[in-house]
Amino acid sequence: MLIYTINRILHMIPVLFVLTVVVFLFMQLLPGDVIDTLVGDEEAEDPATRALLMKEYGLDQPIYVQYAKWIGKVMQGDFGKSLITRRPVAFELLESIPATVYLAIVGIGISMLIAVPLGSIAAVKRNTATDYAAQVTSLIGISIPEFWFAIMCVLLFSLYLGWLPSSGYMSPFEDLGQSIKYLILPAAAVGFRQAAYTTRLTRSSMLDEMNKEYVDTARSLGFSETKVIYKYTLRNAMIPTITISGLQLANMLGGTVVLETIFAWPGIGQAIYMAIVDRDYPLIQAGILVLGIIVVVVNLLVDLLYRVLNPRVALN
Amino acid sequence: MSDIQFRNGQREVRDIHVPTWGERFERAKAASIDALQELYKSKTAFIGGMMLVVLVVILLLTPVLTSQNPIKANYGALLKPPSADYIMGTDRYGRDIFTRVLWGGRRLVVIAFAAVVFGLSLGIPYGVLSGYYGGLADSVAMRVVDGLLAFPGILLYLLIVTLAREWHLEGFWNDLILVFALGFAFFPEVARLARGSVLTEKQKEYVEASHAVGEANLYIALRQILPNCMSPLIVNATVRLGYVILIIAALSFLGLGTPPPTPDWGADLSAARDHMETNPLIAVFPGLAICYTVLAFNLFGDGLRDILDPRLSDR
Repeated sequence: MLIYTINRILHMIPVLFVLTVVVFLFMQLLPGDVIDTLVGDEEAEDPATRALLMKEYGLDQPIYVQYAKWIGKVMQGDFGKSLITRRPVAFELLESIPATVYLAIVGIGISMLIAVPLGSIAAVKRNTATDYAAQVTSLIGISIPEFWFAIMCVLLFSLYLGWLPSSGYMSPFEDLGQSIKYLILPAAAVGFRQAAYTTRLTRSSMLDEMNKEYVDTARSLGFSETKVIYKYTLRNAMIPTITISGLQLANMLGGTVVLETIFAWPGIGQAIYMAIVDRDYPLIQAGILVLGIIVVVVNLLVDLLYRVLNPRVALN
Repeated sequence: MSDIQFRNGQREVRDIHVPTWGERFERAKAASIDALQELYKSKTAFIGGMMLVVLVVILLLTPVLTSQNPIKANYGALLKPPSADYIMGTDRYGRDIFTRVLWGGRRLVVIAFAAVVFGLSLGIPYGVLSGYYGGLADSVAMRVVDGLLAFPGILLYLLIVTLAREWHLEGFWNDLILVFALGFAFFPEVARLARGSVLTEKQKEYVEASHAVGEANLYIALRQILPNCMSPLIVNATVRLGYVILIIAALSFLGLGTPPPTPDWGADLSAARDHMETNPLIAVFPGLAICYTVLAFNLFGDGLRDILDPRLSDR
């Protein structure tokens, strides 16, 4: 396990390298001069100031040196300053992470609540009308664009019925009741789409488990069908389901850009979107880099967790 | 055509039967009928396939189905509800939504298709050669793929599309960048999938036989192994078409895809949000169009997987 862990961590290095190179190249590929971008046209007109600034930002050096310096700064959490607020980008991002995590966790919770029962029932009643209904529902769920689903929810629940606010955010520590009201629609939008994937996943891993010999053994010992399925099969089937849901957390984080924008949810996705609209390049760069790193780390943790939950994998 | 063989040191020329075009046509016909029968047997694939046929026919017939101009504003008919004249109503510039949905669909499907083809043409050779040659080159190639896969969801597109915007690419060039971004983001997945199949396939005996006969490596990899690895790639590409359509719609929804006034499902949805309180139906139709199209591709891809990969069909 230790060797595996070290191995996996070493594998992260090239991945992070590619990630950082792509994000670094983004800045280099912007049109015009970096100085203009960073400082603004008026200040950089004088050639002498320009040369000084070039030197200050290290732009007179070859590109790989610039990359190395940039990486050095990033490792210390220095992503530069926002061009709009002039505050360090790291602050802007740190402030937005809790809202995103809050949304993602509740969203995953909702998806599990829907998907696990639906997926297991579909597997138990395989090839019946119930199964087909569950499968078709989840296929439709995958096909609905999340932003459209979100708009339709707003239309129904806030504009038509007037039950919930159409957008906004409140911290759960400030006022839990209000906070939940704001949370319901965005979390449902995140959760339903996720549920569609997880249902398919639960179903197929349940089917896998149900074909195994221990299930027959349990049945022959006279255990009730309910006990066999819910106590043994489901428990084992949950291992891959949870793992892959963890991996999908990554995709969800990417998807939050759209949903957070619709619901004016002050998370990292909305921060990136606003940065794109405002052309706040350091914030775009740092935001995408941070999300990418979170994905890599989550993938690593999920991988390790999978080995802990399922020691048989190590033998293969 | 003749084939030259050596037997007992003697050169012997034998005729090989080369199929005529007629025979080829017959064979292709038989194969297509087989394929269609298989498709018909899988309900999912059949329904998805029919939905796709309907989609393509409607999109091809767009100029016949509607004579309205999708771009020109008509201030005499702003935000009209659905009626006989305007099946889906009109938007805030008085443009017929039905017309915009159809023209937007044509554009969207073409871009999605081009993007997937681009991704495949980049990813397949990359993955096949990486898996076939193995070794250090393979390790490096796969780490690059891992790195690109670490960009969650639409972030890689966001980076590329932002760059395109900063370079003020417009019209055709903007579409081209969109195709590039979507295809480029698809390529790591294709490469990984192709490599995986090649790794299993290259252990097989026919590959060994080809080596023994002295075929060139490139020939073995691309002409012999690759055709046997196509089915998962085809399934993946079909499902990806649906996904790419979702992404394009999401980008335009955010205002980062197609600039107005070009008809676009995502952008139209986004514009409709401003009039949702008075005219909720405007936001419904472009969304339904996206759902229909994506569902068609997903159903077809799912069914195709059952047919091409019978091991999974019972799942």
